Amino acid sequence: MAVEQAYAPKDFKSDLKPIWCPGCGDYGVVQAIYRALSAIGRPPHEIAFVSGIGCSSRIPGYTTAYGFNSVHGRALPIAQGLKLANPDLLVLVAGGDGDGFSIGGGHLPHAIRRNLDLTYIVMDNQVYGLTKGQLSPTSVRGRKTATSAYGSLEQPINPLLQVLSYGAGFVAQGTPADMVGLTALIEEAIRYPGFAFVNVQSPCVTYGEEHQQMRAQKAVMKSLASVGHDPADYLKALEWATHYTHDLHTGVFYRNPDPPPTYEQLVRERQAELGRNALPRERILELFVQRTEGGVLADS
Amino acid sequence: MPIRDLDLKTLSLQDALDLATLIEEEARDRYEELAEQMAVHHTPGAEQFFRKMIGVEQHHHEELARRRRLLFGGAPVRVSRTMIFDVEAPDYDQVRQGMSVREAFDAALHAETKAYNFFVQALPQIADPDVRELFEELRDEEVEHQRWVQDEIDRLPPSTAPEGDVSDEPVGH
Ligand SMILES: Cc1ncc(C[n+]2csc(CCOP(=O)(O)OP(=O)(O)O)c2C)c(N)n1
Ligand code: SF4
Repeated sequence: MAVEQAYAPKDFKSDLKPIWCPGCGDYGVVQAIYRALSAIGRPPHEIAFVSGIGCSSRIPGYTTAYGFNSVHGRALPIAQGLKLANPDLLVLVAGGDGDGFSIGGGHLPHAIRRNLDLTYIVMDNQVYGLTKGQLSPTSVRGRKTATSAYGSLEQPINPLLQVLSYGAGFVAQGTPADMVGLTALIEEAIRYPGFAFVNVQSPCVTYGEEHQQMRAQKAVMKSLASVGHDPADYLKALEWATHYTHDLHTGVFYRNPDPPPTYEQLVRERQAELGRNALPRERILELFVQRTEGGVLADS
Repeated sequence: MPIRDLDLKTLSLQDALDLATLIEEEARDRYEELAEQMAVHHTPGAEQFFRKMIGVEQHHHEELARRRRLLFGGAPVRVSRTMIFDVEAPDYDQVRQGMSVREAFDAALHAETKAYNFFVQALPQIADPDVRELFEELRDEEVEHQRWVQDEIDRLPPSTAPEGDVSDEPVGH
């Protein structure tokens, strides 16, 4: 039996009242985050939560961690800067599928290839919720919305395949229809030492379709563990990821069994390496003054 | 099962009482959240009902906490809210903007039924006879709660019309 945690889930809940539509999947996601953070055990002041813009991007405000509800599509670059500036912070990033894969889509491969120790949680509802229900990059072909009355002509992107092919070390998918599973995934993602991606099928009750709602999800979702998937098997992970849009598979698609060093580790090493041969600060100033005497650099 | 990191087979009476207290606390907190949601989304009938349920769950919570204090005093709690998941708390997808009072009652009935199912599923795994007795008692109480909610539903006027502002737009964005 586990002992009492240093921080209870309620310690991560802010006083701000969520204004999401009643029934929105994001309510479950934030609860899963509270529980995962409680299990991690770090105090709120050691956590920073960055998001873009969207209904889902409101999430940092509902936590007691440092929060930045930033600019549409720019959560990842801001989070990377934050992590580099203070690598001791636990940095979470969150947003919607529009925020992350549309306007912010260009940042995703670079954040992944740099491999900072970030946990990126996308609430993928296949629609732009905040702006009242336009098509998003994960909307399926034929999807009708108020602004696409005859149905989408575009093929959706597959975020799971994308992040796997960019080389993310931890890739998972969950849903608030399975709170136990979602909490475990978020906790595991946070513990993974490197870039971790969790795609959450978080239904939009207002602009989503019936088959995307939690009740429907409960009937069809299938855990990867129940089909015997080994998360260390990268090629199999790619294969399971191709099921996105057809089947709802939950669990860890891929966990790199041999995580490479993170960008911030490499930066620290580089700084230490260069620092060893660097001149003392006073000497640099002396040289600078010598070289610029008379307003001209002596050596140039 | 809506639990995690918890071995029911080795559950002691102290842990079981703490667990039951947390289950009531979780339900109370959820009704508080749902009442807030209804307040924000101009659905006063459901809001009032959820506020009433806060009191009901708080009462259950206090009863269990009192029993726990009598039996085990201030012994440190070994179970936590991270171990339980919506055991008796209504699911978030049970509510919507403009829901009728009857629908709010249905959400509560669904929650009480979930709690009943939890105790039914847990019982075969329980080894300790005192814990078994407690869980049987809690299971039977859930039947009582269901009956109470059902009676209240039966007393409601027949209309199932939604109330309040039922526009399909999220607010406050
Ligand atoms: C630069 C810029 N372009 C467009 C917008 C308008 N806008 C706000 S949120 C959003 C998309 C929201 O969808 P998503 O990111 O999927 O989040 P959701 O609301 O569904 O959670 C758009 C297009 C904006 N705020 N800023
Ligand atoms: S519009 Fe959709 S995504 Fe936004 S709060 Fe409402 S249900 Fe959630």
